This record gives sequence, C-alpha cells and structure tokens, in this order.
Amino acid sequence: MMAFTWYLLGVLTGGVAYVLYLISRKITLNWLSWSGLIAGSSLVLFSIAWAVGSVLEGVPRAASMGILLFGLSGVVILTLVGRLLTLKKGGG
Amino acid sequence: MVTEKNEKDQVQDSSDQSSEKKTNPQNLNHSRRRFLKLGIAGAGAAMAAAGGITIIRRMEGIPHDEFPLPIRDEFKRIDQRNQINVFANSKALNDKHPERNRSFNTQLQKENPQGFKPFHFYETRQTFMAGPYRDATGYSQLERALAVAGFSSARQQLGGGSMEAPDSGVSSWKQELLAKNQFRFNSPKEATLNIKSAARLFGALRCGITKRDKRWDYDPMYDFYKERELSWERDFPFDPKTVIVIMAEMDYHTMAAAPSWMQDGTVGDAYANAIKIAGQLTIFLRQLGYQAVASMNDLGINAPYAIAAGLGEGARNGQVITPKYGPRVRISKVYTDFDLVEYDKARTFGVASFCLNCKRCANSCPSKAITLGDPSWEPTYSTDPDYIWHASRGVLKFHNDAKKCAKFWIDNDGSCGNCICSCPYNKPDFWHHRLVDAQNVIAPGPVHAFMREMDIFFGYGKVSDPDRVKKFWKLGKSV
Repeated sequence: MMAFTWYLLGVLTGGVAYVLYLISRKITLNWLSWSGLIAGSSLVLFSIAWAVGSVLEGVPRAASMGILLFGLSGVVILTLVGRLLTLKKGGG
Repeated sequence: MVTEKNEKDQVQDSSDQSSEKKTNPQNLNHSRRRFLKLGIAGAGAAMAAAGGITIIRRMEGIPHDEFPLPIRDEFKRIDQRNQINVFANSKALNDKHPERNRSFNTQLQKENPQGFKPFHFYETRQTFMAGPYRDATGYSQLERALAVAGFSSARQQLGGGSMEAPDSGVSSWKQELLAKNQFRFNSPKEATLNIKSAARLFGALRCGITKRDKRWDYDPMYDFYKERELSWERDFPFDPKTVIVIMAEMDYHTMAAAPSWMQDGTVGDAYANAIKIAGQLTIFLRQLGYQAVASMNDLGINAPYAIAAGLGEGARNGQVITPKYGPRVRISKVYTDFDLVEYDKARTFGVASFCLNCKRCANSCPSKAITLGDPSWEPTYSTDPDYIWHASRGVLKFHNDAKKCAKFWIDNDGSCGNCICSCPYNKPDFWHHRLVDAQNVIAPGPVHAFMREMDIFFGYGKVSDPDRVKKFWKLGKSV
C-alpha cells in the first residue's frame, strides 16, 4: 500500500511541477511566489504521504493531525500566493 | 563587395553593441545581481548538503572510544543477589534480609497511609501471573492465556527457569557440541561480519560485539533455584573475552496495550526469540571451536553491554533506546573466549538529551518508580541503605526505584510496559518517524520538549487504552 502511495505521490509531484511550469509561462513569478508555490505544494503532498503512513501503522489520529497541521498550512500558503498573483495581475 | 562591406559593418555594429552592453552600468548591475543570486543559491545548496551529511552521521551515532557514561571510582560491580527479580524469587535472601522488606513497607505506608497493604518480595511473588481473571478489558482469561503462552517458549528453552537464572537450559555452562579444531577467520573484520550474519539468520533485530567488561558482570552470580553463589573464577567454564549482544523486537501493537496482561504476550515472545538466537549463536561459536555461553538477564547487566556494543543509549526508564525501535526490544548476550573480532564502538544518538527534556515515561509510570530528576551519581529518592540496597553508585545516570516497579507488577498481576509504550522513540518502522528522528538528533533541548507534546497531540504512546486491546484481537485478519 505504501509502495502504491509513493507511486501516486510521484505522479502527483510530476503533475504539480507541470502546473507550476504552465503558471510560470503565463505570469512572471518572483522569488516569493516561487517559494510559496513550492512550499505550499510540498506541504500538501507531504501531508498525503504522512496520512497514508499513519493509517497504515494504525494511528488514525496522527493521520488527521498530519492533514490538519501540514496539509492546511500548505493550502493556506497556496491561497495566499494565489491571492498575491491575482492582485498583481489585476494591478497590471 | 557590397555584401562583404555590409557584413563587416554588421560585425562592427555587433561588436560596438556588445562593448556598449559591457560598459552600460545598468547591464553591469544586472550581471552582478545574477552572480550574487547564483552565489546565494550555491551557498544554500552547500549548506543543505552539509546539514544532510551531519544529520545522517548523527543518526548513525557518534562513535566513542570509551564507555559514554561518566563513571567514578566508587562504582562497584553488582552482586546478583541484589538484583530485584533474584531477591524477589529467593526465600533464603528474603529470610537473610528482613530489613529490606521492612524498609520498603515503611516507605509505602508513609506514601499511602490509608490504602497501605503489607508487601513481601518473596511471598507476594509466588502468586505472580496466577491471580483471578478480572472484569476489565485486557485482564480476561484471553489475555492471561496470551501472556502465559508468550512466556512458555522462553521458559521451555531455559529448562523451566527464570530469565535471571544462570546455567540453565539453553544458557547451560556445559560446552556441548564444541568442535576440536578452531576455525581461523581471514581477518577480525570478517569474523565480526560472519558472526553478525549468523545472528541475522537466527532472527536478530540488531547485533553488536564488545569486549567483556567485568564492571558489567554480576559478582558473585546467584542461582536462586539452588540458593547458591557462583564465581567467575571457580565455577564459570572459561575466561570470557568477548560479549555478543543481541536484540529481539517486541510487537508494537501488543506493547500498545500496556499495562494490561496482553503486553506480557510480546514481552515473553521477545524473550523467547532473544534466548533462541543467543542459544543458536552459542552453538555456532562452539562448532567453530570456541567456548560460548548464552545469557538472558543473568551473568551481566544487559543495558551497559548493549550501550558498549553501540546498539543504543541509556534512557530515563533504565532501558536501552535503540534507533528505529526505541526501548521496544529484549536483549540477550553470548559470552565467548573468541576475541579475534573487530569490536563495535559505543555510539550516542542524542537520546540522553531527549530524555532530559521528555519525561513521558516517568509521567506514565503507575508506581512513580521512574525519576523526574536529572542524572545523578547515586539514587536521589532515598539515602537509607536498607532501602537502596539494589542501586548502583558511581555511574552518572537516571536512578529509578526498581522496588516500586516490582510492586506494581505484583499489584497488576502481570508486568507493566507503560514506560516502553509511552516512549516517543517507540514507533513502528515507518518513514515519517525517521524524519522526526532526523530532526531530534540536531535539535536543541526545548525542541525535544515540544516534540514530546507533539507526540501526545498526534495520538502516540497512550497507555491504559482498552481500544488497543480490542484492536489487537482484530489484527489476525491480515495473517
């Protein structure tokens, strides 16, 4: 099961990298945006791996806490970067 | 001609533009900025690589030429008659030392005047793990059966004896199956590798090889079945030079049911595996022509030997914490006269620093036997010689009141395991715990205290949890 998770995470990581590439072609990203997008995406992917690992070892609470702590932090960072990029685009 | 001239002009223009680019202050600033950015990125990558190497090295343990705990001159070898389980199993020793029971009862009465019940190490021990079943999860006939069955194999291998009894069953001192010719290894390094490979085959979780150190050997040894002292010089069949230390794993899910009777199932099972491996390794060495004796909790103290063999670090709960498994291991040993081996070095993994700040085992201990204080040279819970008769002195370590631990076993009618279950190092072998281990080896003290809180927050190490008992009985569906 963990092996399948690693495979899935590999595919997801590839997908995320491609999406970041597409974004960077449309919008010029500064270092802050790049850092935020990479950190946010990494945290979300990490939370998925953490949660699956915790469920497999039989500690579901660790899985939910992992999603809450790492996944939510990732989503918050991605939202902030998204907002920053929208403002930048709107502002010309 | 015209074309050639045009080409020359174009080349000249291009050269002028290039020269202009170089001399333009704006362009100069831009290339400097790029150079600076590249420099910062390079330095960052180098720092990350150096940090990664440091973490990997620390996780493998920092090697030490000497025993890693400070020892003072007042340290004396332990008399096996002063080992708690030996004393508790010996009528002769209890009769000889009534002051020990008296002093302990005085303390118990002082601590709990209302609920005080007289306690006697030998008499109460006779009914251990044989009391009535209880109407509580983890204390039924089912869990008692698991516990007794778990221990049965170890007892059979030891000829019905206890883990502390020397010269019995698999750990017999008779040198049976000893080959006449001694096998010559190509090098000490190869000898060590071959012995460890054999240990792996027999089921060892980890194996380390260290020099025999008389400081950690009981002197004298004591056989409480025959109520007799045993001497290294007079009774032991040879002069040991080397001690091979073996670790066997206890099951995470069974240990999670601590302190119920269920956890005894994995304690007994790991004892059985540990003594089986030691017994097989003993025969392996004898077949190579070298004398060897297997040992469980007899002959010498397991913890310092495991530390000296580089298998782990001494923890607050008095046990050895080994990387990946924490204290969830049982230790056995093989004493041999074979010494042409490459000895392992003691290693430290940052456990001592973590234990200073964590204290989770002490908080989870139902009898408050584990100290909440810092390491000391001697016990801090009492200075009465009749009370601290079992304690070692002269080693800077955590001193715990083993008598209280032994009393809880009697009250519980099974052993405990709370200090193992609650330890943040006790985790199944999953990748994310290695990640936490990696940061623990470099993080300073306050971070360790934070990690302890996070461990609780994430739901690890809960003790007295009936759900863990129920969960255990469903694990069979994956078999």
